[in-house]
Amino acid sequence: MLNILILGLGQCGNRILDAINREAFGSGGTFAKYYSRQKFPASVKTIAINTAINDLKELDDTLAKDRLHVPHLHGVGANRIIGQKVFKENKEMIMGEIDKRGSFDLIFVITSTAGGSGSSFAPLLAKELKQTYNAPIISIAVLPFREEGSIFLQNTAFCLRELVEMDAGGVLLVDNQYLKKYAGDIKSAYDSINTTTARRILFLIEALNSEMLMVTDLGDLKTVMNGGIGVGTMGFYEASKEGTIKSAILGSFKPSGLLFPANVYEDGARAMLVIKGNKKFLDLDLITKTVEELSREVGQVFKGVLIKKGRPKVLSLFTLNSVPELEKLYAIAADAIRFEMDKKEQSKKRLDDAFSHIEDLEPIY
Amino acid sequence: MNNDRILAIIIVLLLLISTSPIAIAAEDNGGDDDANVILDRELEVGSGVAIEHSIKIEVVEVKTDIVDCAKLRISSYQKPARVISIFTGDSPSEYDTSSGASIFIDVLSVYGDSVSLRVTGPDDWRVTNYYTVESEDEEEETKKETVTVPKLDITRTFDTTVSEPGQVIAVTIKIRNTGNGTATDIMLDESAIRGTYKEDCPTTIEDIAAGETKRVSYTLKVVDAEPGTYELSPSILNYQSASDVSFSSESKTGVLEITAAEVLLPAIEVSIEPVDSIMTCGDDFPMTVTIRNVGNATSGIVTIKSDLPPDVQVVSGEDDPVYESIEPGESEEYGVTLRTHGEGKHVIDVQAMWGDGEAVDTIEFWAEKSGLEQYYIYILAAIPILLLLFWAMKRRKDYSY
Repeated sequence: MLNILILGLGQCGNRILDAINREAFGSGGTFAKYYSRQKFPASVKTIAINTAINDLKELDDTLAKDRLHVPHLHGVGANRIIGQKVFKENKEMIMGEIDKRGSFDLIFVITSTAGGSGSSFAPLLAKELKQTYNAPIISIAVLPFREEGSIFLQNTAFCLRELVEMDAGGVLLVDNQYLKKYAGDIKSAYDSINTTTARRILFLIEALNSEMLMVTDLGDLKTVMNGGIGVGTMGFYEASKEGTIKSAILGSFKPSGLLFPANVYEDGARAMLVIKGNKKFLDLDLITKTVEELSREVGQVFKGVLIKKGRPKVLSLFTLNSVPELEKLYAIAADAIRFEMDKKEQSKKRLDDAFSHIEDLEPIY
Repeated sequence: MNNDRILAIIIVLLLLISTSPIAIAAEDNGGDDDANVILDRELEVGSGVAIEHSIKIEVVEVKTDIVDCAKLRISSYQKPARVISIFTGDSPSEYDTSSGASIFIDVLSVYGDSVSLRVTGPDDWRVTNYYTVESEDEEEETKKETVTVPKLDITRTFDTTVSEPGQVIAVTIKIRNTGNGTATDIMLDESAIRGTYKEDCPTTIEDIAAGETKRVSYTLKVVDAEPGTYELSPSILNYQSASDVSFSSESKTGVLEITAAEVLLPAIEVSIEPVDSIMTCGDDFPMTVTIRNVGNATSGIVTIKSDLPPDVQVVSGEDDPVYESIEPGESEEYGVTLRTHGEGKHVIDVQAMWGDGEAVDTIEFWAEKSGLEQYYIYILAAIPILLLLFWAMKRRKDYSY
């Protein structure tokens, strides 16, 4: 059984982690935690880490002992510089808490790239984890709404760069901007994104830890995550009654099922397919044939088939050779940074001009 | 002899009557020069004269002693009779009559049963009658004969009116003759109570003269009379007078209480302090037993034996103790804690046995299942709910930050 550590950093990471814990209770609903136990498909340890204690209090399905407050006021105020400083000051404590959970075969670090604590902690923590544990560290990086503000954009830009340059095990992107179209209001969008992300992570963990008809494993995952630029995302598709397994596999690569807008067929480097469903729906020949077809277009595609009840569900995980959407985001971020710099310089100049009025003067009493 | 004397007196009287004017005149002249002699003659005891019809002089008694005297009863109209004694040699005694005139009486000489009197007074007063005081004498004689009647009053007393078998009662009978005659042939009839014995009780009593009091005593032994209050019949005296007339007297009735003889014996009583009439199965309950000697003697060894139903067990305490002895009026007490396991009626007997007997006390109670038992199903149902609740609370605490 795989030992997996899932770390939720910052408010966004905490909420996705909480969603993972909630989904682990199954279909019991809100009160499941009062009478049921979490059923992770592997030996999963979760820790929610945050400098804002109120964000930790908001969590519903994460055990109190799995909530780690890094004391610094009530957050770092989206300031990654402060966040990095706080992390360094509390690194021993954080790593000590993680160390109490034992050793791990796979580590997920879930964070928003836009916020303060998560975006500043994630790269540093990934680095520490990489040095401490001999396990792939996959970062689940949640990109902000583009209109959330220039600080969030610049945080995203720097955080994401640091995560990729860390080369700890790959980055899977989740784009709020892209996914909010599936929900009406912002809160519903967040909830939906969190739940969707949580389910896909659990789906992946289940696949990695189960005996499969066609096997894909942690090694395959590492290979996939090492493909391309080490940045990818996940797709999902649940077959309809009339649909074939092929349509389900292909559906998992469709933009509507992705967590980040990408053209897998054009930009994909490596991919992993996890197919789960009733055996009667799973035509292995067709699956093999379809995967071969995909491999010709996408590159290396690993596949795993998991026999379970229900109609076929397909999780796709892939890395990209290029990420046009990221390039756009960095461009926007750069513009935003420059705009902020210009605005700041102008403001400073206006302030200096104002101060110049009293440059040769002294207060007289 | 008397008849001759009476005859001589009569003759003398006749002679006096025939010569009376001369004699009276002569006496008047001879006794007192100025006084009119109304009477001057010898009168026998029991005879009398009437002067001027209303003044009476009667000879009551004569005495011949160193100085002779005569006792005379003098009465006159509207004046009560007066008895005076006149001695010979004294000056004449004056007697004021109702008319205001006075007469003077002089005793000249006294004889064996007669007296010689001289009476002087107003001139024209005369003896109007000579008579014998017979009627009064006869009445007195008759009276003397009828009062010689004995009358015995009898009073019976006991030295105690409360007795018990074996005790002796002293009985005293006081007899007093309140009559004027001697009681003779006195027979005492004294009744007795069954179970008693009269000792030295006389049946005849010596004659008792008038005014005499006699006491008779005897003892009444209470032998085996049944305890109770008895009314003693009166003592009866049968007796006769001197004239052989039979009489009877009786005392008042008496009351005699005979009590049972005190027997020194221990008597043990057992009493169990009442317990609740309804017990709950499985619950402990105390039972306190008191053993009291209500007799008048110290008991020997007293052994207690409890008879418990099979489903009643002693939880704690001293069961069936043995006491060496219990003093009269003293008591011993012990307590045990019992527990019953069976439903229904239960009877517990506690028996005390000693040398002379045994005593027992019994308590009854009803045992029923705990009232909680009807709620057991709910309690059992509630347990998992509570466990779930506690679990949920713990889970909530686990997830509360």
